[in-house]
Amino acid sequence: MPITILGPYSRTILTIFVIAAVLGFSFTYVRIDVYTALMPFFEWMETTWFGYIGKTWGAAFATIQAGHLIGLAVLGGCVLVSDGRLLGLILTDVPHRTVIDRADAVFFWALVTLLLTGIFMACGVAMKIYYLPVYWYKMLALAGGILFHYFIRRPLLVHDLNSINSTVLKMTAIASILVWFLVAATGRWIGFSG
Amino acid sequence: MNEFIYNIAVWIDDTPYSAMLHESYYMYNWVESTHVLTLMVSLGMLFLIDLRMLGYAFPDVPASKIAERLNIPMLIGFTVMFITGILLFYAVPVRSAQSIWFRIKMVLLVACAINAYLFHKRMSESVSSWDCEERAPKRVRTGAVLSLVFWTIIVICGRFIAYDWFDCDYEQSALVEFVAGCIDGQTRF
Repeated sequence: MPITILGPYSRTILTIFVIAAVLGFSFTYVRIDVYTALMPFFEWMETTWFGYIGKTWGAAFATIQAGHLIGLAVLGGCVLVSDGRLLGLILTDVPHRTVIDRADAVFFWALVTLLLTGIFMACGVAMKIYYLPVYWYKMLALAGGILFHYFIRRPLLVHDLNSINSTVLKMTAIASILVWFLVAATGRWIGFSG
Repeated sequence: MNEFIYNIAVWIDDTPYSAMLHESYYMYNWVESTHVLTLMVSLGMLFLIDLRMLGYAFPDVPASKIAERLNIPMLIGFTVMFITGILLFYAVPVRSAQSIWFRIKMVLLVACAINAYLFHKRMSESVSSWDCEERAPKRVRTGAVLSLVFWTIIVICGRFIAYDWFDCDYEQSALVEFVAGCIDGQTRF
Protein backbone atom coordinates (compact mmCIF):
# COMPACT_ATOMS: atom_id res chain seq x y z
CA MET A 1 0.00 0.00 0.00
CA PRO A 2 1.41 3.41 -0.93
CA ILE A 3 0.48 4.86 2.48
CA THR A 4 2.76 2.36 4.20
CA ILE A 5 5.58 2.91 1.74
CA LEU A 6 5.41 6.67 2.18
CA GLY A 7 5.35 6.37 5.95
CA PRO A 8 4.26 9.26 8.18
CA TYR A 9 4.72 11.79 5.38
CA SER A 10 2.21 10.13 3.03
CA ARG A 11 -0.33 12.97 3.06
CA THR A 12 2.34 15.65 2.72
CA ILE A 13 3.93 13.90 -0.26
CA LEU A 14 0.53 13.22 -1.86
CA THR A 15 -0.49 16.86 -1.40
CA ILE A 16 2.72 18.12 -2.97
CA PHE A 17 2.12 15.65 -5.81
CA VAL A 18 -1.43 16.98 -6.32
CA ILE A 19 -0.22 20.62 -6.32
CA ALA A 20 2.57 19.74 -8.77
CA ALA A 21 0.08 17.86 -10.96
CA VAL A 22 -2.29 20.86 -11.00
CA LEU A 23 0.57 23.19 -11.92
CA GLY A 24 1.72 20.80 -14.64
CA PHE A 25 -1.85 20.44 -15.87
CA SER A 26 -2.25 24.22 -16.10
CA PHE A 27 0.44 24.31 -18.80
CA THR A 28 -1.31 21.79 -21.03
CA TYR A 29 -4.17 22.15 -23.53
CA VAL A 30 -6.34 19.99 -21.25
CA ARG A 31 -6.76 23.09 -19.12
CA ILE A 32 -8.61 24.82 -21.98
CA ASP A 33 -10.88 21.78 -22.45
CA VAL A 34 -11.73 21.75 -18.74
CA TYR A 35 -12.28 25.52 -18.79
CA THR A 36 -14.70 25.20 -21.71
CA ALA A 37 -16.47 22.24 -20.10
CA LEU A 38 -17.08 24.29 -16.95
CA MET A 39 -18.98 27.03 -18.78
CA PRO A 40 -22.44 25.36 -18.58
CA PHE A 41 -21.93 24.95 -14.84
CA PHE A 42 -21.33 28.70 -14.43
CA GLU A 43 -24.33 29.46 -16.67
CA TRP A 44 -26.41 27.21 -14.42
CA MET A 45 -25.08 28.97 -11.30
CA GLU A 46 -26.60 32.24 -12.50
CA THR A 47 -30.00 30.60 -12.92
CA THR A 48 -30.11 29.32 -9.34
CA TRP A 49 -32.01 31.03 -6.52
CA PHE A 50 -28.71 32.39 -5.17
CA GLY A 51 -27.80 33.70 -8.61
CA TYR A 52 -31.20 35.38 -9.00
CA ILE A 53 -30.99 37.09 -5.58
CA GLY A 54 -27.36 38.07 -6.09
CA LYS A 55 -28.11 39.70 -9.45
CA THR A 56 -31.36 41.44 -8.57
CA TRP A 57 -30.99 42.44 -4.93
CA GLY A 58 -27.87 44.53 -4.45
CA ALA A 59 -28.37 44.94 -0.69
CA ALA A 60 -28.44 41.16 -0.17
CA PHE A 61 -25.30 40.74 -2.28
CA ALA A 62 -23.47 43.48 -0.34
CA THR A 63 -24.57 42.03 3.02
CA ILE A 64 -23.29 38.60 2.05
CA GLN A 65 -20.07 40.27 0.89
CA ALA A 66 -19.77 41.78 4.37
CA GLY A 67 -20.29 38.29 5.84
CA HIS A 68 -17.52 37.06 3.54
CA LEU A 69 -15.22 39.81 4.85
CA ILE A 70 -16.03 38.97 8.46
CA GLY A 71 -15.32 35.29 7.77
CA LEU A 72 -12.02 36.35 6.22
CA ALA A 73 -11.20 38.54 9.23
CA VAL A 74 -11.81 35.70 11.70
CA LEU A 75 -9.91 33.22 9.53
CA GLY A 76 -7.04 35.68 9.27
CA GLY A 77 -7.11 36.22 13.02
CA CYS A 78 -6.89 32.45 13.64
CA VAL A 79 -4.03 32.05 11.17
CA LEU A 80 -2.10 34.96 12.66
CA VAL A 81 -2.58 33.78 16.24
CA SER A 82 -1.77 30.15 15.50
CA ASP A 83 1.17 30.83 13.20
CA GLY A 84 2.28 33.77 15.33
CA ARG A 85 2.55 31.31 18.22
CA LEU A 86 4.64 28.93 16.11
CA LEU A 87 6.91 31.86 15.25
CA GLY A 88 7.17 32.76 18.93
CA LEU A 89 5.56 36.17 18.42
CA ILE A 90 2.25 35.90 20.25
CA LEU A 91 0.78 34.11 23.28
CA THR A 92 4.24 32.75 24.01
CA ASP A 93 3.24 31.86 27.58
CA VAL A 94 0.41 29.59 26.40
CA PRO A 95 1.33 26.05 25.25
CA HIS A 96 1.67 25.58 21.47
CA ARG A 97 -0.81 22.75 21.48
CA THR A 98 -3.56 24.75 23.19
CA VAL A 99 -3.22 27.74 20.85
CA ILE A 100 -3.07 25.63 17.67
CA ASP A 101 -5.98 23.35 18.59
CA ARG A 102 -8.26 26.15 19.80
CA ALA A 103 -7.45 28.39 16.83
CA ASP A 104 -8.12 25.45 14.49
CA ALA A 105 -11.66 25.02 15.86
CA VAL A 106 -12.54 28.65 15.07
CA PHE A 107 -10.63 28.47 11.76
CA PHE A 108 -12.95 25.67 10.58
CA TRP A 109 -16.12 27.74 11.11
CA ALA A 110 -14.53 30.81 9.55
CA LEU A 111 -13.62 28.71 6.50
CA VAL A 112 -17.19 27.34 6.30
CA THR A 113 -18.52 30.94 6.43
CA LEU A 114 -16.09 31.98 3.69
CA LEU A 115 -17.07 29.07 1.46
CA LEU A 116 -20.85 29.48 1.91
CA THR A 117 -20.83 33.25 1.36
CA GLY A 118 -18.34 32.79 -1.48
CA ILE A 119 -20.66 30.34 -3.26
CA PHE A 120 -23.55 32.80 -2.93
CA MET A 121 -21.45 35.65 -4.31
CA ALA A 122 -20.10 33.52 -7.16
CA CYS A 123 -23.66 32.62 -8.21
CA GLY A 124 -24.58 36.30 -8.47
CA VAL A 125 -21.73 37.12 -10.85
CA ALA A 126 -21.00 33.67 -12.27
CA MET A 127 -20.39 34.59 -15.91
CA LYS A 128 -18.35 37.65 -14.97
CA ILE A 129 -15.96 35.68 -12.79
CA TYR A 130 -15.82 32.82 -15.29
CA TYR A 131 -13.98 35.16 -17.67
CA LEU A 132 -11.76 36.68 -14.95
CA PRO A 133 -8.30 35.04 -14.75
CA VAL A 134 -7.86 36.37 -11.21
CA TYR A 135 -10.92 34.42 -10.05
CA TRP A 136 -9.19 31.22 -11.12
CA TYR A 137 -6.00 32.33 -9.38
CA LYS A 138 -8.04 32.81 -6.23
CA MET A 139 -9.63 29.37 -6.54
CA LEU A 140 -6.18 27.84 -6.98
CA ALA A 141 -4.90 29.79 -3.98
CA LEU A 142 -7.92 28.73 -1.91
CA ALA A 143 -7.55 25.07 -2.90
CA GLY A 144 -3.84 25.35 -2.12
CA GLY A 145 -4.63 26.93 1.24
CA ILE A 146 -7.12 24.24 2.23
CA LEU A 147 -4.83 21.43 1.06
CA PHE A 148 -1.90 23.00 2.84
CA HIS A 149 -3.83 23.50 6.07
CA TYR A 150 -5.50 20.10 6.30
CA PHE A 151 -2.98 17.87 4.56
CA ILE A 152 0.39 19.40 5.41
CA ARG A 153 0.17 21.79 8.36
CA ARG A 154 -2.29 19.91 10.54
CA PRO A 155 -0.77 16.40 10.16
CA LEU A 156 2.63 17.92 10.93
CA LEU A 157 1.41 19.73 14.03
CA VAL A 158 -0.37 16.64 15.38
CA HIS A 159 3.04 15.36 16.46
CA ASP A 160 4.83 16.45 19.60
CA LEU A 161 5.99 19.94 18.62
CA ASN A 162 9.15 19.66 20.70
CA SER A 163 10.23 16.79 18.48
CA ILE A 164 9.91 18.84 15.29
CA ASN A 165 12.79 20.96 14.03
CA SER A 166 12.02 24.59 14.95
CA THR A 167 13.01 25.78 11.46
CA VAL A 168 10.42 23.44 9.95
CA LEU A 169 7.78 24.86 12.32
CA LYS A 170 8.70 28.43 11.45
CA MET A 171 8.72 27.70 7.70
CA THR A 172 5.30 26.06 8.03
CA ALA A 173 3.96 29.10 9.88
CA ILE A 174 5.34 31.54 7.30
CA ALA A 175 4.00 29.42 4.42
CA SER A 176 0.58 29.32 6.09
CA ILE A 177 0.45 33.10 6.56
CA LEU A 178 1.58 33.66 2.96
CA VAL A 179 -0.90 31.22 1.41
CA TRP A 180 -3.89 32.75 3.26
CA PHE A 181 -2.67 36.26 2.49
CA LEU A 182 -2.55 35.21 -1.16
CA VAL A 183 -6.16 33.99 -0.93
CA ALA A 184 -7.26 37.32 0.57
CA ALA A 185 -5.22 39.43 -1.86
CA THR A 186 -6.49 37.62 -4.96
CA GLY A 187 -10.03 37.96 -3.58
CA ARG A 188 -9.55 41.72 -3.29
CA TRP A 189 -8.09 41.77 -6.77
CA ILE A 190 -11.35 40.32 -8.14
CA GLY A 191 -13.03 43.52 -6.96
CA PHE A 192 -10.77 45.62 -9.16
CA SER A 193 -11.17 43.48 -12.27
CA GLY A 194 -13.83 43.27 -14.91
CA MET B 1 -24.11 71.83 10.18
CA ASN B 2 -24.62 69.90 6.93
CA GLU B 3 -23.57 72.95 4.93
CA PHE B 4 -20.44 73.25 7.04
CA ILE B 5 -19.58 69.58 6.45
CA TYR B 6 -20.27 70.03 2.72
CA ASN B 7 -18.02 73.10 2.51
CA ILE B 8 -15.19 71.30 4.32
CA ALA B 9 -15.60 68.32 1.97
CA VAL B 10 -15.52 70.62 -1.09
CA TRP B 11 -12.40 72.30 0.26
CA ILE B 12 -10.70 68.90 0.69
CA ASP B 13 -11.90 67.89 -2.76
CA ASP B 14 -10.21 70.97 -4.24
CA THR B 15 -6.81 70.02 -2.85
CA PRO B 16 -4.56 68.60 -5.59
CA TYR B 17 -3.57 65.47 -3.65
CA SER B 18 -7.22 64.47 -3.19
CA ALA B 19 -7.76 64.41 -6.95
CA MET B 20 -4.41 62.70 -7.49
CA LEU B 21 -5.24 59.94 -5.04
CA HIS B 22 -8.72 59.47 -6.46
CA GLU B 23 -7.50 59.37 -10.04
CA SER B 24 -4.56 57.10 -9.35
CA TYR B 25 -5.91 53.64 -10.17
CA TYR B 26 -3.08 51.75 -8.49
CA MET B 27 -2.58 54.01 -5.46
CA TYR B 28 -6.28 54.18 -4.66
CA ASN B 29 -6.63 50.42 -4.99
CA TRP B 30 -3.55 49.85 -2.83
CA VAL B 31 -5.00 52.04 -0.10
CA GLU B 32 -8.43 50.39 -0.36
CA SER B 33 -6.90 46.89 -0.38
CA THR B 34 -4.80 47.68 2.68
CA HIS B 35 -7.92 49.01 4.42
CA VAL B 36 -9.82 45.80 3.68
CA LEU B 37 -7.03 43.28 4.22
CA THR B 38 -6.06 44.79 7.57
CA LEU B 39 -9.44 43.47 8.76
CA MET B 40 -7.62 40.17 9.25
CA VAL B 41 -5.41 41.76 11.90
CA SER B 42 -7.78 44.23 13.55
CA LEU B 43 -11.21 42.59 13.42
CA GLY B 44 -9.66 39.12 13.40
CA MET B 45 -8.07 39.75 16.80
CA LEU B 46 -11.05 41.68 18.15
CA PHE B 47 -13.52 38.93 17.22
CA LEU B 48 -11.28 36.31 18.82
CA ILE B 49 -11.24 38.34 22.06
CA ASP B 50 -15.04 38.74 21.92
CA LEU B 51 -15.55 35.05 21.14
CA ARG B 52 -13.27 34.15 24.06
CA MET B 53 -15.49 36.15 26.41
CA LEU B 54 -18.53 34.29 25.06
CA GLY B 55 -16.80 30.93 25.52
CA TYR B 56 -16.56 30.05 21.81
CA ALA B 57 -12.80 30.52 21.32
CA PHE B 58 -9.82 29.53 23.45
CA PRO B 59 -12.08 28.60 26.41
CA ASP B 60 -9.19 27.07 28.38
CA VAL B 61 -6.85 30.06 27.99
CA PRO B 62 -7.25 32.78 30.65
CA ALA B 63 -9.43 35.60 29.30
CA SER B 64 -7.03 38.29 30.49
CA LYS B 65 -4.18 36.66 28.60
CA ILE B 66 -6.14 36.59 25.34
CA ALA B 67 -7.32 40.18 25.77
CA GLU B 68 -3.85 41.53 26.68
CA ARG B 69 -1.80 39.59 24.13
CA LEU B 70 -4.13 40.13 21.17
CA ASN B 71 -4.64 43.78 22.04
CA ILE B 72 -1.33 44.95 20.55
CA PRO B 73 -1.70 43.41 17.05
CA MET B 74 -5.35 44.50 17.11
CA LEU B 75 -4.39 48.12 17.82
CA ILE B 76 -1.69 48.02 15.12
CA GLY B 77 -4.35 46.76 12.70
CA PHE B 78 -6.82 49.45 13.71
CA THR B 79 -4.14 52.15 13.34
CA VAL B 80 -3.46 51.05 9.75
CA MET B 81 -7.21 50.89 9.07
CA PHE B 82 -7.68 54.35 10.53
CA ILE B 83 -4.91 55.87 8.40
CA THR B 84 -6.08 54.17 5.20
CA GLY B 85 -9.68 55.09 6.07
CA ILE B 86 -8.72 58.77 6.31
CA LEU B 87 -6.94 58.49 2.96
CA LEU B 88 -10.02 56.92 1.38
CA PHE B 89 -12.16 59.77 2.72
CA TYR B 90 -9.56 62.28 1.51
CA ALA B 91 -9.76 60.80 -1.99
CA VAL B 92 -13.58 61.02 -2.21
CA PRO B 93 -14.60 63.60 0.39
CA VAL B 94 -17.93 65.02 -0.84
CA ARG B 95 -19.61 61.73 -1.69
CA SER B 96 -18.31 60.10 1.51
CA ALA B 97 -19.43 62.98 3.73
CA GLN B 98 -22.91 62.77 2.22
CA SER B 99 -23.19 58.99 2.35
CA ILE B 100 -25.78 57.69 4.81
CA TRP B 101 -23.71 54.55 5.28
CA PHE B 102 -20.55 56.50 5.99
CA ARG B 103 -22.41 58.55 8.59
CA ILE B 104 -23.86 55.45 10.28
CA LYS B 105 -20.38 53.93 10.22
CA MET B 106 -18.87 56.97 11.95
CA VAL B 107 -21.56 56.97 14.66
CA LEU B 108 -21.02 53.25 15.23
CA LEU B 109 -17.24 53.74 15.41
CA VAL B 110 -17.81 56.17 18.28
CA ALA B 111 -20.21 53.66 19.89
CA CYS B 112 -17.53 50.95 19.49
CA ALA B 113 -14.91 53.15 21.15
CA ILE B 114 -17.22 53.78 24.13
CA ASN B 115 -18.12 50.09 24.30
CA ALA B 116 -14.42 49.10 24.18
CA TYR B 117 -13.66 51.52 27.03
CA LEU B 118 -16.49 50.12 29.17
CA PHE B 119 -15.56 46.55 28.23
CA HIS B 120 -11.96 47.01 29.41
CA LYS B 121 -13.08 48.84 32.54
CA ARG B 122 -15.52 46.08 33.52
CA MET B 123 -12.99 43.42 32.67
CA SER B 124 -10.12 44.91 34.65
CA GLU B 125 -12.42 45.40 37.65
CA SER B 126 -13.45 41.77 37.92
CA VAL B 127 -11.23 39.56 35.76
CA SER B 128 -9.33 38.02 38.67
CA SER B 129 -12.51 36.29 39.86
CA TRP B 130 -13.43 34.64 36.53
CA ASP B 131 -10.21 34.70 34.44
CA CYS B 132 -10.03 30.94 33.91
CA GLU B 133 -13.77 30.35 33.52
CA GLU B 134 -15.07 29.30 30.12
CA ARG B 135 -17.46 32.26 29.86
CA ALA B 136 -17.10 35.78 31.18
CA PRO B 137 -19.78 37.30 33.46
CA LYS B 138 -22.92 38.67 31.83
CA ARG B 139 -21.80 42.31 31.90
CA VAL B 140 -18.61 41.51 29.99
CA ARG B 141 -20.45 39.16 27.62
CA THR B 142 -22.91 41.94 26.81
CA GLY B 143 -19.97 44.15 25.83
CA ALA B 144 -18.58 41.37 23.63
CA VAL B 145 -21.93 40.84 21.89
CA LEU B 146 -22.33 44.60 21.34
CA SER B 147 -18.82 44.72 19.89
CA LEU B 148 -19.59 41.85 17.49
CA VAL B 149 -22.89 43.43 16.41
CA PHE B 150 -21.51 46.96 15.99
CA TRP B 151 -18.51 45.82 13.99
CA THR B 152 -20.64 43.57 11.80
CA ILE B 153 -22.88 46.56 10.98
CA ILE B 154 -19.78 48.72 10.38
CA VAL B 155 -18.46 46.20 7.84
CA ILE B 156 -21.88 46.06 6.17
CA CYS B 157 -22.04 49.89 6.04
CA GLY B 158 -18.51 49.90 4.62
CA ARG B 159 -19.68 47.67 1.78
CA PHE B 160 -22.85 49.72 1.25
CA ILE B 161 -20.84 52.95 0.78
CA ALA B 162 -19.85 51.63 -2.65
CA TYR B 163 -23.52 51.64 -3.77
CA ASP B 164 -25.25 54.81 -4.97
CA TRP B 165 -28.81 54.08 -3.75
CA PHE B 166 -28.98 57.17 -1.52
CA ASP B 167 -26.53 59.50 -3.25
CA CYS B 168 -27.45 63.20 -3.26
CA ASP B 169 -27.21 63.49 -7.06
CA TYR B 170 -30.36 61.33 -7.35
CA GLU B 171 -33.84 62.40 -6.31
CA GLN B 172 -34.30 61.25 -2.71
CA SER B 173 -37.01 61.42 -0.07
CA ALA B 174 -36.88 64.28 2.44
CA LEU B 175 -35.74 61.87 5.17
CA VAL B 176 -32.84 60.54 3.09
CA GLU B 177 -31.83 64.09 2.08
CA PHE B 178 -31.85 65.10 5.74
CA VAL B 179 -29.85 62.10 6.98
CA ALA B 180 -27.37 62.27 4.09
CA GLY B 181 -27.03 66.03 4.51
CA CYS B 182 -27.82 66.90 0.89
CA ILE B 183 -27.62 70.66 0.23
CA ASP B 184 -30.12 72.47 -2.01
CA GLY B 185 -28.43 73.45 -5.25
CA GLN B 186 -25.16 71.75 -4.48
CA THR B 187 -22.92 71.44 -7.51
CA ARG B 188 -20.34 68.97 -6.24
CA PHE B 189 -21.16 65.32 -5.58
